[in-house]
Amino acid sequence: MDISSDIHSQHISRQFNQELEELKTHLMAMGGLVEKQVQDAVTALLEGDSALGRQVVENDRAVNDMQIKIDAECTQVLARRQPTASDLRLVLAVIRAGSDLERIGDEASKIARNACELIDGDNGSRGFVEVRMISEHVRRMVRDALTSFARFDTELALKLVHEDEQVDNEYQSAMRSLMTFMMEDARSISPVLSLMWILRALERIGDHANNLAEYVVYLVKGMDIRHTDPEDLDAEAISRRD
Amino acid sequence: MRTLWRRRGEGPWPWLAAGSVALSLLMLLALLLLLAIRGLGHFWPAEVALVALQDGQPFAGVAVREEQIPGEETRERLYFTGNRDLDGDRWRWVEVSAIADIRHPAELVVLQRSRWGEFHGRLVAVTGGGEHHTGEAAWPALQARLSELDVLRDERDRLRDDVVVPLVRRLDNAGNLADADFRAALAAANARIRELQSAMGDDILILESVDGRRIEQPLDLVLRAWRPNAMSPLDKLGAWAGGVWLFLSEGPRAANSAGGVWPAIFGTVLMVLLMSLVVTPFGVLAGIYLNEVAHQGPLTRLVRIGVRNLAGVPAIVYGVFGLGVFVYGIGGTLDEWFFSESLPSPTFGTGGLLWASLTLALLTLPVVIVATEEGLARVPDHQREGALALGATRMEMLTRVVLPMTLPAMLTGMILAVARAAGEVAPLMLVGVAKLAPQVPVDGDFPFLHLERKFMHLGYHIYDAAFHGDDVQAAMPLVFATALLLVLVILVLNLTAIFLRHHLRARHGAPSRW
Amino acid sequence: MSFFTSSSAAGGPIIDFAAAESSLEIAGLSLAYGEKPALRDLTLRIPRHRVTAFIGPSGCGKSTLLRALNRLHDLNEEVVRRGEIRLEGQDIHAPQVDVAELRRRVGMVFQAPNPFPMSIYDNVAFGLRLQGGMRKREMDDTVEWALHSAALWEEVKDRLRASAWTLSGGQQQRLVIARTLAVQPEVLLLDEPASALDPISTLKIEELIRNLKSRLSLVLVTHNMQQAARVSDYTAFLQQGELVEYGPTQTLFTNPRLRRTENYITGRMI
Repeated sequence: MDISSDIHSQHISRQFNQELEELKTHLMAMGGLVEKQVQDAVTALLEGDSALGRQVVENDRAVNDMQIKIDAECTQVLARRQPTASDLRLVLAVIRAGSDLERIGDEASKIARNACELIDGDNGSRGFVEVRMISEHVRRMVRDALTSFARFDTELALKLVHEDEQVDNEYQSAMRSLMTFMMEDARSISPVLSLMWILRALERIGDHANNLAEYVVYLVKGMDIRHTDPEDLDAEAISRRD
Repeated sequence: MRTLWRRRGEGPWPWLAAGSVALSLLMLLALLLLLAIRGLGHFWPAEVALVALQDGQPFAGVAVREEQIPGEETRERLYFTGNRDLDGDRWRWVEVSAIADIRHPAELVVLQRSRWGEFHGRLVAVTGGGEHHTGEAAWPALQARLSELDVLRDERDRLRDDVVVPLVRRLDNAGNLADADFRAALAAANARIRELQSAMGDDILILESVDGRRIEQPLDLVLRAWRPNAMSPLDKLGAWAGGVWLFLSEGPRAANSAGGVWPAIFGTVLMVLLMSLVVTPFGVLAGIYLNEVAHQGPLTRLVRIGVRNLAGVPAIVYGVFGLGVFVYGIGGTLDEWFFSESLPSPTFGTGGLLWASLTLALLTLPVVIVATEEGLARVPDHQREGALALGATRMEMLTRVVLPMTLPAMLTGMILAVARAAGEVAPLMLVGVAKLAPQVPVDGDFPFLHLERKFMHLGYHIYDAAFHGDDVQAAMPLVFATALLLVLVILVLNLTAIFLRHHLRARHGAPSRW
Repeated sequence: MSFFTSSSAAGGPIIDFAAAESSLEIAGLSLAYGEKPALRDLTLRIPRHRVTAFIGPSGCGKSTLLRALNRLHDLNEEVVRRGEIRLEGQDIHAPQVDVAELRRRVGMVFQAPNPFPMSIYDNVAFGLRLQGGMRKREMDDTVEWALHSAALWEEVKDRLRASAWTLSGGQQQRLVIARTLAVQPEVLLLDEPASALDPISTLKIEELIRNLKSRLSLVLVTHNMQQAARVSDYTAFLQQGELVEYGPTQTLFTNPRLRRTENYITGRMI
């Protein structure tokens, strides 16, 4: 049975409606902040803006606070409302999504820190191309994940699941080329390592975006597709599922 | 808008309610007091006054009441003088102003006689058995002889009631007894009675009225003797208690104007019991049918309305119905079939205990049905469902769960029935009560309970004594006493049922109110 | 049913048990009070040795359905019934069926505790005495066993002769369960058994229901969703006399198939 995104505002208890809407709103707000964190971190690296980078690291605190607040709200809803069916799935999805968003925030913070090190070390812009490409991809993924969450759009979510494969491939090739570079020039080990951390963080962000997409499918369809191989997923069957 | 300062309280309503209850209780108390005083007071040995009139004529009597002569200034006083055989009347009105002197001499004696009623006067002599007592010795001698006589009289009465009368009943139309043993017994009893009679007939009393006339009084016709003016309060109390006891245990005398009401008590209680035995099963079964078994359609509703309307039918109508259907119809048929040898003297074709009980059972049937129905309706449905859900059949549910819970209500119905029936007189006059039936319907003679006999009834006794006696004045105190007794009998019957109901309710663990 | 590699026709919203594993079968049951229909063409099977819950809004027919299972509607002349109900394969409305025996095999516990105005012992022994032929020793043992089964023995063992009405509400309800258990039913119908009780008694009754599963099939009507979710294995959702959805409780309460079910469970207006 498909649910629409406005379904959580149709309870007889208006207060319950409000609580659930607020959960979604707060999650979206957190998602927006996290999206910006990722963007700023990458910008800081690519444009050599260490001040921006340090700001990103600072703002991570706000992200953590938001997760704690969202978790607390979810706990309240569980205790007081004993939600069932799609309400229950929403609360569980929000808890899990909050956790993943917080991790994305951590990864963004890591990117920013490494960026600052690179900038301070002034080691040129080797590897930036790969970073730019992957980061674009990953940022789009995060944005799409949040959009699919907001719109309860499983088709979009399922597309993301497949995209993560691509990101992994890009990451692998980027890592290979950086390794090669590192082996050629011994002086570049330190900056390359930093870049590698950055790439790794970006790859992780992609994984987390993938998780968000899985939560959307759980929320809307009631299917838990975590740990299922993408090849085994029959998107059409899922879409058709009543 | 109501202000906050309005005086709180519930207005006049609690007072009205409490006042109504108080008023009802007061009226009830007044009734009982009136009955008690006028009735029980009769047995108190009143002092006999020796009245000397202005014109010199003395008489002895008990003052009863005073009245204002209408239209005149003077008052009249009524004295009970007894001595009907001497004066022709037992009562005497005297103008108070004509009284010269009143004294209460201790030696004035009151005798209760089985013929001619009471005697007021002096005891001169006692003779009998070769003895002759006068003066001071006369009174003790009288006492002694009276107690001896009582023993003899008891034996004679017992022989008559237990032996002679039952045997006489068995006399066939020719006046003979079939069984040789019975004949012998009857002859022996008659002989003994004659012996006793002659032993008793020996004594003679010489009595003198206060105005000097003398009479000879055979002692065997004297029931009791006492000297009220010489009795201490304790003696009077003893005499009063004795009088009450006699009232309860003796049969009536002098056309119901004197004596006791024992047969009437017995008859009333017996009839009420028989009636209860008949009405309870029918009423309960009818109530169960109407409430539990019958399809609740328009016909059942009609029957229910009919039953409730029956409760309003006047009692005399039931009497007429009983007379027509039970007495003449069924009773006549029974006589033809089973007692044809006694005809034309009716056995069941006339009023009797059975027909009276049945008639009153009909009278009270609606009450019992309604009470049972109400009780059944009060049993909650969830109790019935609970029993059914355990695998009980309809019958088992009714008998094991519903009816035990309805018992208090059924008893209430019975209480109401008893209260109504014990007080009804009109229908009984048509179907079975007798002015005089000193033989109670239960005796040692098979079949022990004689349903065809007429019986006496307290209510009817009151009516008869008050309106049909030739000496209403004398009967009046007995009327009050009997009325008090009737109230008490009903009270006892009701209390018994109420106790039973309370006990039942307590046993079921349900909260019960008296 | 796999939703991974092959598309399969998903089963409808009503689970079907095999006849061999069901205690009660309801086939095409329609019931009306005079002109007013109460149940419309219901078909479902109640599994053996499980707890099945009926939920639904007021007037949906869940109590009506429950009472049809032990023919309590026989008492009501207005009721018109079509369709069949089978207990262990036998039609309960067949003419030769002994209704009293049916009601012994399919026991019922009602919403408000309704102990008889007798002693505790007599309440439990009531059904036994109906059967008859039991000696006192055996009856004592059975009464004790029944009270144990209802988790009431410890609380009343010293006052078996006291009136049943001296017990608290929760104890009375357990007493009612004990007296129903005493006659060894196969199925136990419970019509909102805890709705009149305080929370602790409610939990005790629920615990009792769970423990009884091993011996009986239980059918529970409740308007308390959480209770249905806690206690039952299978839940049937009825609305306006129709069976809307019937499936395993854990699925129905996390991911119901039909929107109507979802709306009712989560308390939505539409």
